[in-house]
Amino acid sequence: MRISYNWLKDYIDPNLAPAKLAETLTMAGLTTESVQPSGDDHLLEIEVTANRPDWLSYIGVARELAAITGNKLTLPPSAGINTAGKKSGIKIDIEEKSLCQRYTARVIKDVDVKESPGRLKRKLEAMDLRPVNNVVDITNFCLFETGEPMHAFDLDKIDGGQIIIRRARKGEKIVTIDGVERELNDTILVIADRSRPIAIAGVMGGLNTEVTGATKNVLLEAASFDPISARRTARALGISTESSYRFERKVDLDNIASASDRATSLICELASGQACEFIDIGKKSAGGKTITLRLPKLDAVLGLEIPPAKVKKISESLGLRIKKSTKESLTMDTPQFRYDLNAEIDIIEEIARIYGYNRIPSTIPAVVEQDEKVPFEMMIENRIRSLLAGSGADEIITYSLLSKNLLKMASLEDTHVSEIKNPLSSEQEIMRPSLMPGMLASILWNINRKSRDLELFELGKIYTKTSERSFNETRCLSIGIAGEISGWAQGARPCGFFDLKGAIETVLSELGIDNAAFKQTRIDGYSHSCAAVIDIKGSEIGRAGEISKQVLHNFDIKERIYFCEISLDALLKHAKLEKVFKELPKHPSVYRDMSLVVPKEVLNADIVVLARETAGAILHDIRLIDRFTGKQIPDGKVSLTYRLEYRIPSRTLEEKEVSAVHANILQALEKRYGARLR
Amino acid sequence: MKEEIKQFEAAALKEIESAGHAKETLEALRIKYLGRKGIVTELFKRMALLPPAEKPEMGVLVNALKNTITALLDGKMVSAVLSEEEKDRIDVTLPGIGTRQGRIHPVARTINQICDVFISMGFKIVDGPEIETEHYNFEALNIPLEHPSRDAFDTFYLKSAEKYLLRSHTSPVQARFMEKNKPPFSIIVPGKVYRPDATDASHSFMFHQIEGLAVSDAIKFSDLKGVLETFAKQMFGKSTKMRFRPSFFPFTEPSAEVDISCRLCSPDEQRTTKCSLCGGKGWLEILGAGMVNPKVFKNVGYDPEKVTGFAFGMGVERIAILKYGITDIRLFFENDVRFLEQF
Repeated sequence: MRISYNWLKDYIDPNLAPAKLAETLTMAGLTTESVQPSGDDHLLEIEVTANRPDWLSYIGVARELAAITGNKLTLPPSAGINTAGKKSGIKIDIEEKSLCQRYTARVIKDVDVKESPGRLKRKLEAMDLRPVNNVVDITNFCLFETGEPMHAFDLDKIDGGQIIIRRARKGEKIVTIDGVERELNDTILVIADRSRPIAIAGVMGGLNTEVTGATKNVLLEAASFDPISARRTARALGISTESSYRFERKVDLDNIASASDRATSLICELASGQACEFIDIGKKSAGGKTITLRLPKLDAVLGLEIPPAKVKKISESLGLRIKKSTKESLTMDTPQFRYDLNAEIDIIEEIARIYGYNRIPSTIPAVVEQDEKVPFEMMIENRIRSLLAGSGADEIITYSLLSKNLLKMASLEDTHVSEIKNPLSSEQEIMRPSLMPGMLASILWNINRKSRDLELFELGKIYTKTSERSFNETRCLSIGIAGEISGWAQGARPCGFFDLKGAIETVLSELGIDNAAFKQTRIDGYSHSCAAVIDIKGSEIGRAGEISKQVLHNFDIKERIYFCEISLDALLKHAKLEKVFKELPKHPSVYRDMSLVVPKEVLNADIVVLARETAGAILHDIRLIDRFTGKQIPDGKVSLTYRLEYRIPSRTLEEKEVSAVHANILQALEKRYGARLR
Repeated sequence: MKEEIKQFEAAALKEIESAGHAKETLEALRIKYLGRKGIVTELFKRMALLPPAEKPEMGVLVNALKNTITALLDGKMVSAVLSEEEKDRIDVTLPGIGTRQGRIHPVARTINQICDVFISMGFKIVDGPEIETEHYNFEALNIPLEHPSRDAFDTFYLKSAEKYLLRSHTSPVQARFMEKNKPPFSIIVPGKVYRPDATDASHSFMFHQIEGLAVSDAIKFSDLKGVLETFAKQMFGKSTKMRFRPSFFPFTEPSAEVDISCRLCSPDEQRTTKCSLCGGKGWLEILGAGMVNPKVFKNVGYDPEKVTGFAFGMGVERIAILKYGITDIRLFFENDVRFLEQF
């Protein structure tokens, strides 16, 4: 809410310069966002929290300032309204009592509707409000002064001399004073006359009963409408007014009559009207509550002792009336406008607030010993993060929400995808079922900015809809590689699948996983020449390969991209983080190389498995050290050189036995896979 | 023989000195003088034939000759090797070979830094789901479903038979954790949160929060101040000042907004121009906090007469923006490597 410094001075002398006033209010919970000079005035923008609707007026802010500073509050004179016993001739009927606690109406006859005097117009202009005419301006002025939204109807346009507070009927329409025709329904509360709605209760008046220069008699409404109903209505119609804003937060029930009187006397004064009887239906007072504050509890919550005399003084400054006072406690009645004060903790907050948070000391609580400081999954994520960053990859974080189109571009299925009901844009239609679209979008972003050699990874969740009532969140790791691996010493080469696989193997090794297998397969979105599932003990933990030409085309990416996505939740089931020392071998290993020419279809994994099967435990390790195709190698074949490490724990191996096993392996490979020694 | 030795010496020195630094030449000279049939070796042989009385004097002379020539040749040899190495000198200003260091995302880095500070104060990290129910996101936290206090928590909903939403803050984990655990404890909860905000330099529909919650039979507001001041000093530097302003959150009471002193100017300073970071206020808002509202305790089955607690919540991107002077929240999710590589 905006506060004009000069206007505020009508009710209290702050005795503080505008900037200092702003700080004083801020430190009491009325956060002042800005102070701007405006002519000879200063405008303060204050942010009123949802619990303090009583601050949404000049009197409310002045009242608070009086509590903080002790300065005197001056309320406008209560008007003695002379009705001379005049009847209003209007009948009020509240059909929805639960949505309208109190409804008051005052008929003012023979008004002279004209331009407001300059001082009134200036006040409204300070609030960014366009002056309309004296009657309308007075209702707006009183809204800001008292916090009670009021509405003036042209009495002569009210059909049948009757006001009905009822639900709108389905299909009913009203043109509001902003000139917009609005369709209503039965969740909306309206003020109606005998034949039609004349206002949307608490939100906006109707054009049909608007006060204009031709108006002779007015009906001034001041009421309390249900906050939830006002909120629903304002939201349903997509309008928020000064009026609805206040009703949503609940207006002060006790303040309604005096606010109406204030407006009436001003209308009588400035528009020379004649007030009729005051019609007042419903509950007149919300009544205060009685709360007991235990002083030891106050001290225990805040961590400091505030002298009881100080507590009393603060309470009284806030309008709390102390009914009973003992050494240990204070029992008090809350002012009726403080709807937010309902329990002891509310009073504790008030005392702390006015006493000053900054006077509360700083202490360190006793340390509570915890079992596990970091959840296992998070610890693993951090390990992977350091490992991959250490090996040259940059971590990315992409949005969990995507457009359906991006999913389609990545050739991903849209079944089991969680859809957002209320996205703001198409970029937020669904929750990502894969980290792939985000990775490709990030790679594209960088390529478009001439950063070409990329190694990126992301640790994040993917989301799937498992049924109409349940969703899954799965932690995943993705890695994406594009461009060249280069260095001045060895020159540049295009990156490839095995760079990706190397990164994956580093992660697997860190987690103590040595039984993951890469199995060639066909996967949508991946190239048919290079796609694999990563499998541990028959269950798939992830996928890796080259992104298909089609997907790259969809993203308009020219470079080759290698990508993997691994479920960390699945992977973690296989992690072996405990390290167990193995005795170092007492006897040296024997190393033998084997250079083979094999048909291209033969897989490295098959050769390794057969070698191990054939040799048994004596073969400690077998590793590919060279692979090439070319001139010396026949078409359809490939040359592979393996280094085999032989060793047994009990003794030094003899040349003869190694040679025999080595020959057996070769023979087996020849027989099974058509391998030839090169 | 004495004369002869002197002549040899003069000739040898002259020859070696003028011989240059080629390794091969020096080797040939070594053979010529010190080799098996070399001149010095010959002198030793002749010395053996001298009468015993002359031997010692001659011996000293020949040995001296040998040492002089050896030293001279060795010296020349050393500089020969050096000059040869000089030819192979490498350019040490060439870049080192090795994997370039990748970077941890600044949001992840900031989360880790924040968590480390709180872990050192005895907190433990707890995790929770991002897809939530209205109960945990709102009602359990004393946020009525149709109340203006919900306005700060606009929420994405999912299409499903039951009402599911994307958590709009990390606070639901408070309620989830308390339902399953007994005090005392102190926890922090990092994670992603979602709000349907239009994206601009300071708003993002997805961001990260860290939630803190400490509950025991004796937690006080002063403890909240102490813990957060420690955090601010460790995160932003020892000279950082902090202030607590009264505020309102449905799940805490008393509630506070917490500011730190501006990192570019000082709150006490008289300013002539507006600071680009704090806009001239001298303070930067970094988090919201308060004492756990007794209603929240009741909702999870705790007796508010027996326990007290504090809670706080902060935006990770906001902290990173202030810490590193980042100008636009969108940079965090564009993943431009020129941005990532700065951290």
